[in-house]
Amino acid sequence: MIRFENVGMRYGPGPEVLRDVTFQLEPGTFTFLTGPSGAGKSTLLKLMYLAEAPSRGLITLFGTDLATARRSAFPALRRRIGVVFQDFRLLPHLSAFDNVALPLRLAGRKTDDYTRDVEELLGWVGLGDRMNAKPPTLSGGEQQRVAIARAVVGQPDLLLADEPTGNVDPEIAQRLIRLFGELNRLGTTVLIATHDRGLIERSRSREMRLVDGRLVELRRG
Amino acid sequence: MSEKQRVRGRILPREKGAAPLDVVIAVMAFLAALALGASMLADRQAESWREGLAGRLTVQILQPEHPTSSRNLNTETEAALQILRGTRGILTVTPMPDADAAKLVAPWLGADAMVKDLPLPRLIDASIVPGEHVDFAQLTARLQTVAPDSNVDDHTRWISRLQTLANTIIYAAYTILALIAVATAAAVSFATRAGLEAHHDIVALLHQMGAHSGFIARAFEWHYLLSTLAASAVGAGLAGIAFLAAGGLEFAGVEPVPFLPPLGLNPQELVWLLAVPLASAAIAWATARLSVLAVLREIY
Ligand SMILES: Nc1ncnc2c1ncn2[C@@H]1O[C@H](COP(=O)(O)OP(=O)(O)OP(=O)(O)O)[C@@H](O)[C@H]1O
Ligand SMILES: [Mg+2]
Repeated sequence: MIRFENVGMRYGPGPEVLRDVTFQLEPGTFTFLTGPSGAGKSTLLKLMYLAEAPSRGLITLFGTDLATARRSAFPALRRRIGVVFQDFRLLPHLSAFDNVALPLRLAGRKTDDYTRDVEELLGWVGLGDRMNAKPPTLSGGEQQRVAIARAVVGQPDLLLADEPTGNVDPEIAQRLIRLFGELNRLGTTVLIATHDRGLIERSRSREMRLVDGRLVELRRG
Repeated sequence: MSEKQRVRGRILPREKGAAPLDVVIAVMAFLAALALGASMLADRQAESWREGLAGRLTVQILQPEHPTSSRNLNTETEAALQILRGTRGILTVTPMPDADAAKLVAPWLGADAMVKDLPLPRLIDASIVPGEHVDFAQLTARLQTVAPDSNVDDHTRWISRLQTLANTIIYAAYTILALIAVATAAAVSFATRAGLEAHHDIVALLHQMGAHSGFIARAFEWHYLLSTLAASAVGAGLAGIAFLAAGGLEFAGVEPVPFLPPLGLNPQELVWLLAVPLASAAIAWATARLSVLAVLREIY
C-alpha cells in the first residue's frame, strides 16, 4: 500500500529532517508513529499525503511511484487519503456539518445522499448538538473531533492522523481510537502519529518510532 | 472514478457588506465609464465640426469701384455663378440673398434702412462633392477675371484650427480613458489577488482533499467575476445615469455645463458603457484563474 525506500527530507536549505527512512505499510494495517517533538512525525505524514515532495528516496503510494507519476494523477491519489491535520485546518465559515461533508461534496455526492451519514458520524464523536456551529465557536477538542469526522467520513483507503487525541480527555480519546479501529476493520489502512503512551500501551498495534529523523521499529503489530 | 466535481453551497465565504475593494472597483468603473462617455462625446463633437465646415467654400464679391451698366455687382455675380456651376467638383451653388447678408451685419450696424444703401458684398455659398479636390488658387484666378474684387474663402484656416482643437480633445479624452482603464484593470486585479490571499487556506485545503486545479480555479473565477461585475456595474450604471441626466436637462432646454458641447449620450453610445463592467469582470476572471493556478502550481 505504501512503501518508503531511503527517503530523505529537508525543508529548503535546512538540515535533513528525515534520514534514510525505509518502511512499508500493508493494506488494512493499523500503525502508531511515535517520537519526541520535532522528530519529524508530521513531516513523514506530509510526504504520505502528498503535501511535500521528498528530497531523495523512493515513495510508492497505492502502487504509484510518486517520482515518475504525473502531477495530474495526484488529485485522485489524494482523494483516497483521509487526513487529520495537527492544526485541524477546518474552514471557519462552514458549519461543523459542512466541514465534515466537504470530502463527500468533492467526490460529487448529493446532499440527500450523505446527510444521514454525516449526522450519525458527528453524533458518534459527541457533536450531535453542535452540528451547525462554526469552528471558531468550538473548543479545541471539539474542533479536533470535527477534523477527525471529516477525515473518516469518506471511508478512505488510507487514514493519516497527526496527534488526533492531543486536545481531548482520555475518555473521548479512547472513543476516537475505537472509531479508527472500526474504520480499520472496514478495510482502511490507519497510521496515527501520537505522543500518547497510554493509547499505544492499550493497543497491540505496530509502533514505529522516529528518533532524530531516523525510523526505529519498536513493535510489530 | 468520476472526474466531474461539484459542490453545492458556498465553499468561499460570503463577504459581509461591500468590501472596501468593491468600493474601489465601483469608483474606478464610474471614472472609466465617464472617460469612455467623454471620449465618445469629444469624438462626436469633432466629427460634427469637421462635417459642418469641410466641403464648403464661400465666394465674396465686392461692389466694383466704378460700376457701369454692363459691369456692376449683379453682372459680376451672375458671371461668377456661371463659373462656379461649371467647375468640376462643385456640388451646389447658392447665392446668398441680400436680406441674409444684411442680417449678418445687423449686429454691428443695426437693421435700419440705411443698411440698404450700404454697398454690401455678395456672398455665394458653394458645397464641394465629398472627396473631390478643387484647386482654389485656379478657381480664384478664374473668378477674378470676371469679378476683380472677389475672393474665395475655403475655411481652411478655421477647419485646420478646429481640427487641431478637436484632435487635442479626442487625444486627451483617449489618454485619460487609457489611464483610467489601466488603473481600473490594476484595481480589479489587485482586489482579486488580495481576496485570494485571504482565501489561500481554502485553496490549499481543497487541493489537499484532491480537488482538481480546474475545479478550485472555477470556484474562485465565478466568485470574483460576479462580485466584480456587480461592483463595476454599479459604478458604470451611476455614470450612465449621469449622462442620461445631462441629456435630460439638455432636452428640457437647460445647459448643465455652460460653453460645453452637449453632454447627453444617445442610446447606442450608452450601450458602450457596458464595456466597462464586462471588461472588469473579464479581468477579474482571468486574474483569479491565473492566480489560483499559480498558487496551486507552487503547492506540491
Ligand atoms: N515548513 C517547515 N519549514 C522548515 N522547517 C520545518 C517545517 N516544518 C517542520 N520543520 C522542522 O522539521 C522538524 C520536524 O518537524 P515536524 O513537524 O515533522 O515534527 P513532529 O515530529 O511532528 O513534532 P511535534 O510532535 O511537535 O508535532 C522540526 O525541526 C521543524 O522545525
Ligand atoms: Mg507534528
